[in-house]
Amino acid sequence: MARIERLINLVAALLETRRPLSAEEIRTRIAGYGQESKEAFRRSFERDKQALREMGVPVETRSLEPYGEEGEGYLIPKDRYYLPDLDLEPDELAALRIAVDTLLGPGEGAGTGLLKLSMGTEGPGLGAPRPIAGANVAVEDPHLSSLYEALTARTPVAFRYEDARGRVSQRRVEPWGLVHRAGHWYLVGRDGASGERRTFKLVRISELTSSDGSYEIPADADVSGAVGGEAWEFGGSEVGRATVRFAPEARWWAEQNLSHLPAAEASSGALDVDMPVGNDAALLGWVIGWGGSVVIVSPPELRRALVDHVAPWRPRVAESSR
Amino acid sequence: MEATRRGELALTQEAGRLERRLRRILLMLPYAIRNPGVTVGELAQRFDASSEKVVEDLQLVFLCGLPGYGPGDLIDVAIIEDRVFVDMADYFAAPLRLTPEEAVALYAGGEALVALPGMEEADALKRALAKLGDVLGAQEGADGGGIEMRILPGPAAHLARLRDALSRRRRVAIEYMSASRGELTAREVDPWALIVAWGRSYLVGLDHLSGEERMFRTDRVKSVTVTDADAPAPDRFEPQRYTRAFLDREGERSLELEISPGVARWFLDYYPVRSVIELDDGWRRVEMTASSDHWAATVLLRLGVEARAAQPTTAVEAAARLADAIAVAHEAVPEAAPR
Repeated sequence: MARIERLINLVAALLETRRPLSAEEIRTRIAGYGQESKEAFRRSFERDKQALREMGVPVETRSLEPYGEEGEGYLIPKDRYYLPDLDLEPDELAALRIAVDTLLGPGEGAGTGLLKLSMGTEGPGLGAPRPIAGANVAVEDPHLSSLYEALTARTPVAFRYEDARGRVSQRRVEPWGLVHRAGHWYLVGRDGASGERRTFKLVRISELTSSDGSYEIPADADVSGAVGGEAWEFGGSEVGRATVRFAPEARWWAEQNLSHLPAAEASSGALDVDMPVGNDAALLGWVIGWGGSVVIVSPPELRRALVDHVAPWRPRVAESSR
Repeated sequence: MEATRRGELALTQEAGRLERRLRRILLMLPYAIRNPGVTVGELAQRFDASSEKVVEDLQLVFLCGLPGYGPGDLIDVAIIEDRVFVDMADYFAAPLRLTPEEAVALYAGGEALVALPGMEEADALKRALAKLGDVLGAQEGADGGGIEMRILPGPAAHLARLRDALSRRRRVAIEYMSASRGELTAREVDPWALIVAWGRSYLVGLDHLSGEERMFRTDRVKSVTVTDADAPAPDRFEPQRYTRAFLDREGERSLELEISPGVARWFLDYYPVRSVIELDDGWRRVEMTASSDHWAATVLLRLGVEARAAQPTTAVEAAARLADAIAVAHEAVPEAAPR
């Protein structure tokens, strides 16, 4: 008998059984195992369990004591296997369909996920994708689904982390949320060592494992506040304020993109915007991109820091030492 | 040794095929059970397999069932004139819950679209994501099951005009702040798509200034005018290409430099590079694509003293000019700032 038949029989039996099945019952009763010696069975069954668990089939181990027997048995709890009916309206399914069609890059999970949600023929049609929109949300990040699983199960995680300066540390974190910003995913959670909210960039995480225990997410946990929209809004330092002056040729950018921030007219048609800054280096990098048409007015230390930062590249220095 | 490795590889591939097939069967069965009389062709299309494969899968399922494996225990499958009927398998009448991969991809994709202003389906999509969040055990009141997308969508008025131009296939005239030139440019673009990527929205289309396919960040667009000129549909348009690699393609110029150990991790996360070599003193020699000397200059200035030995000299000269402009503009601010 083919292994795939055996696996289907195993899922069917473990879903339908009222009490956990012992390994011996599985060996003798489920079609596909019967011919095997005990040793061969043990290997096959281990392999099958692992394959099913990797697919997301919740094969659980339970004690047989409540049933007056010794040892352990196996079953698949119905409430953990079956996707509950979401009662999605046709327009909701159609909207999800658009979201899936517009997903760019690797993300086949979205397609099979949608199929699971559309079990009725009244569901979304299989029309051609609309070519006018697309979304690249980098869901191929290797740690994303493991961290999401830990988050929904409320299981702490442990990993090795390398910060922006290349410093390495071992971390134990209770995940509160996952945030995508500018093409990168961030884990926000309670850091075991400091007991405080910390943000970790997923690309700098390695050796990820789930640890023991469980946790609660505090009611006042602020996940999105931990990751700013623009690069200068978040980072290592405390969030302060800076006054940034947009010259007449650049003020349109502030007017259309920073209209939510307090602003004041400056002399000669320039606009001063009061900006939140949590990452001084990112602010300097961004101002540099404007080539002098955006200027840091205050705090003066930050303004002088920028002048010092670019000084090594100024002409006098450039000619003599570079 | 080589043979062993090839053997292992073959085993892995076989396991992958088996897993894919089992996934498809566990997904297809509930659909066939709930929709008696569905055609083989529809199953094939819906579950992305050939009709032959669908029939093979159904024949396989016909041999499976519950212990006992008698007539009353086996799954009943009948294909009558291309119509499929599956019975005696109520335990497969609902699909397997979403895997974390599926949940994350659906959420992230949905949230990204909701964040784009002016999408007519946004309301329905929000309702769908909320229902999804409920079954995934999302925290009370936490939208997206713990997943959040920080999207900076760009000016709503621009997006509305671009959508209009896209649906009527009209060319647009835009003023664009080009990062490679460091100045405002006027261009005409045949719009092909609006794309959310790297947390922002982009216009993609044929740029008549360069004669090439280009991406434009909508927040850097100063103005959009929809013209009366036709914008023909592209011969070949592959939205799947808009990954990070597309950005690298933009420039043909090369920038070489050495970066300090302290900034290496950040730099290599942030900028796509062509090659990296670690030097004896821990600095890294990096080679990357640059769209212009101006753009290369912004890279060098961002690094400050953390960069050295940059090439070509035109990039270093551009950095000198840029550094001077920035320093002069900042030194012109009176020490005691007004207000």
